[in-house]
Formats: sequence, structure tokens, C-alpha cells
Amino acid sequence: MAKTPENIAAPKDAPCGKMAVRRLTEERAGASLEAVKPQSGEVRNIFSARKDTAASHEMLVLRIAEHRDRSAFAELFSHYAPRLKSYLMTLGLDDEKAEDIAQEVMVTLWRKAVQFDPEKARLSTWLFRVARNRFIDHTRKQKYTEVDADDHVAHMVAPEQTDTPTLQRQYAERVSAAMAELKPAQKQVIELSFYHEKSHSEIAAELELPLGTVKSRIRIAFEALRKELRDMA
Amino acid sequence: MTAHTGLLPDEWLVSYAAGALTEAQALVVACHAEYHDEMKERIADAEAVGGVLLEGVVPARLSVGALDDAFKAIEALEDEPSSVKPTAPAFTDPRMPAPLAALLGKGFDELKWGFMGPGMKKLMLKTYENGERLWLLRAKGGTEMPFHDHRGLEFTLVLTGGYKVGDAHYTPGMMEVAGPEDTHHQPIIDEGEDCICLAVTDAPIKLHSFVGRMFQPFIGL
Repeated sequence: MAKTPENIAAPKDAPCGKMAVRRLTEERAGASLEAVKPQSGEVRNIFSARKDTAASHEMLVLRIAEHRDRSAFAELFSHYAPRLKSYLMTLGLDDEKAEDIAQEVMVTLWRKAVQFDPEKARLSTWLFRVARNRFIDHTRKQKYTEVDADDHVAHMVAPEQTDTPTLQRQYAERVSAAMAELKPAQKQVIELSFYHEKSHSEIAAELELPLGTVKSRIRIAFEALRKELRDMA
Repeated sequence: MTAHTGLLPDEWLVSYAAGALTEAQALVVACHAEYHDEMKERIADAEAVGGVLLEGVVPARLSVGALDDAFKAIEALEDEPSSVKPTAPAFTDPRMPAPLAALLGKGFDELKWGFMGPGMKKLMLKTYENGERLWLLRAKGGTEMPFHDHRGLEFTLVLTGGYKVGDAHYTPGMMEVAGPEDTHHQPIIDEGEDCICLAVTDAPIKLHSFVGRMFQPFIGL
């Protein structure tokens, strides 16, 4: 668990100056603090919020829900908006549009914070889903039907686990590690699916592979990733 | 071919989660998942993979004042008098998955079904720019449908009744995925109640027999 989070490792591409540095120091402060000080009291502003790493991202959402807490929002924004924008740009949006939609997704988080149930989904999963749907809505003018969105089965996240950032980071690290351990060919089909929204037949055409091979690669890759998700839950 | 389970294989669930399905496919998959909690979990897992990938991207640089803009958008929202309109409760029907019920807004028997062939009715719900079509198909118990091949991909979700194709038996909540490799496809409808299916087709199916070809204009699939 002494691993460096990947966002710290990438300051050169990260948002310039202040923000990147701030995140860096905050993350470090957090990483060292959480070992010593598992719980602490109320959090009043963005800086103390980060020192108090007992507040996970999910807990910050609850603070928005209950207190309309702007500093909690600001903190989530500084973490997620740049990532959402980056993801949307990977999907092919230009800088401006990607930022617009990233902002919309974050505003949706503010609006729907009350409906967010940390026992049912991780925040990153929830944001991913909203960003995906907004992207499709925007680029294809289509509605992507949600799978019973308000009724996601509480299987992955035991309630007591949502509260600890350590576990949360472990979780992301383990799934990322599982991603990294996939064979390049398997990783490729997952990335083509998620980062480029390619269908099986589009992937098959692009890689000049039989359709069946593409499908089985996706299945095998997903099984490996899923095993990590399950082991954590 | 994989063993028949009537459950959509994982590669489709991954594509659903990734946003790589078409609108029509996503609708049918969401309907399909309503019948199976375990499938909902698998989809949630695939979406969690999306969440982890989102966490792992190299953050992009935001424009100056992005956060302030977000707060302005929030304030604008909260200044709106009452954006929550009282909406009529969505139509529901125990025989329909919720997304379909919301789309139809009425029961199966109140729909204007069209003739498709002896014992068969159809209702085209939507056509899409990419050539896909979303259908409801309804066949009387015991009907033998004409032999046909598929030129494209076809998803069929059983809503009521059931049918057999070869040894595979499809009942409500089960999905059949057929592609161009599935030739000589001849569903035989179970005796008893009407079999109603929700289907997405992405290319016209090709009927085999001479009689079948005569039906083609009626079937219109």
C-alpha cells in the first residue's frame, strides 16, 4: 500500500503549476496522515478537507447532499473534472466540448448528490456512467438506456469499506494492476471498447481479427478484471 | 458456439458498459438485464472497470476559472423557480421490462399490431439512422416460423410465451443473439400463450423457402 498513486506520477502532463503541485502535496499529506490518524472531525475548507483523508470521495458527496458543501464539491471537482475531460477527449471530443461535458457531469453530481448511495456504487463508477451517457447523448443524439440505475445491487462495496480511502485506493490500484497484467492483446480490446466505444465488429475490422477472437479476448480480459473487483468486495 | 443459456455473453455486457452499443441494442440489453440480478451485477462490474479507467487517465488541463464556471452553473440551476415538474408516473406493466413500458406507454393488447404472416404480428417501434430497427413480434402458440438466415446481427428478447430453435428453448427474459453465421434459423413457438418478443435487427433477414419469400414483403424484417 506504499504504492504511489498514478496521478502523482504524472505531473508533467497534469494541469499546470498550482493545481498539480497542490494535488501532489495534498496526496502526500493524505497518504502519510491516514496511517496515523484514521478518523477526525469536521472539515471546513478545501485544504483541511484533504488533510483529513478520512473523508473519502463518497463521503464528500454526502456532504454536498446534506450541507450543499461547496468545499467538498471543489475538492471533487479538482480531482474528477480533469480526468473526465481527459477521458472525453480520448473519446474524440475537442478541448472545449470535453470541458463543457466534464463540467455538466460535475454539476449533475451536485444536483443528484442526494440520490447518490455510496453503498451501491463507487463515485468513479457513477461519474463514468453519467459521462458515458452525456457523451452519447451529445455526440450521437441518442439516449443510452440505463440498467436500473437507482437499483444497482450493493455487491461490490461493503458499506464499511466505502469510508476508508485506503481501501478505495487499493481497489483502484488492484484493478489497474490487473489491467496492467492483462496480455497486451486483451488490454487492447478493453481499451478500444472503453476509450473508443468500438463495437466488436469494428474492433475485428481494425485489428484484422476474426469476430470470435475479439469476443473471447474481451470475455477473458473482463473475467480477469472482475476477479479483482470481486476479491476486493 | 457457446452453450445455450439465453443470457447475453459478457463481451456484450462489456460493450454495453463501455457505451459501445447502439441505442437500440442498449435498450434491449437494459430490458434483458432487468430479468437477471446476476447480469446487473456483471454490468455494474464492467461499469466499475470504466470508473477505474477514468481514475487512471492522465488528467487534462482545465481552463482558468473552470470551477467558478461550475459554481455559476449550479447557482443558475438553483435560482430556477422550480425545475421539478410534476410528471405523471411512468407506465408499468408486469409483462414488460421498465424501459420498454416507458417507451410504449401502454399494454401489449392496446398496440396497433400489423399483419406479418399466418399466426404472426409485428409492430415496428423505431427505425434508426444506422439502419437498425426495433420491433415487437407476436406469434400465436404453436406457430412455426419460416426458415430464415440472418444477414446482420439480431437480438431477440422473449417477453411472454416461448420458442425453440433446434435444441435451444427461449422463455421470458432470455435473449437470442443471431448473426450471419446462424443459417436456417427456424423458431417454433411454444404451445399456449402468445409469444411476444422485442427484437433489434440491423439488416433485413433473408427467408429461405419460396413461401417464405412470398412472406418477405409482409414480414418486412
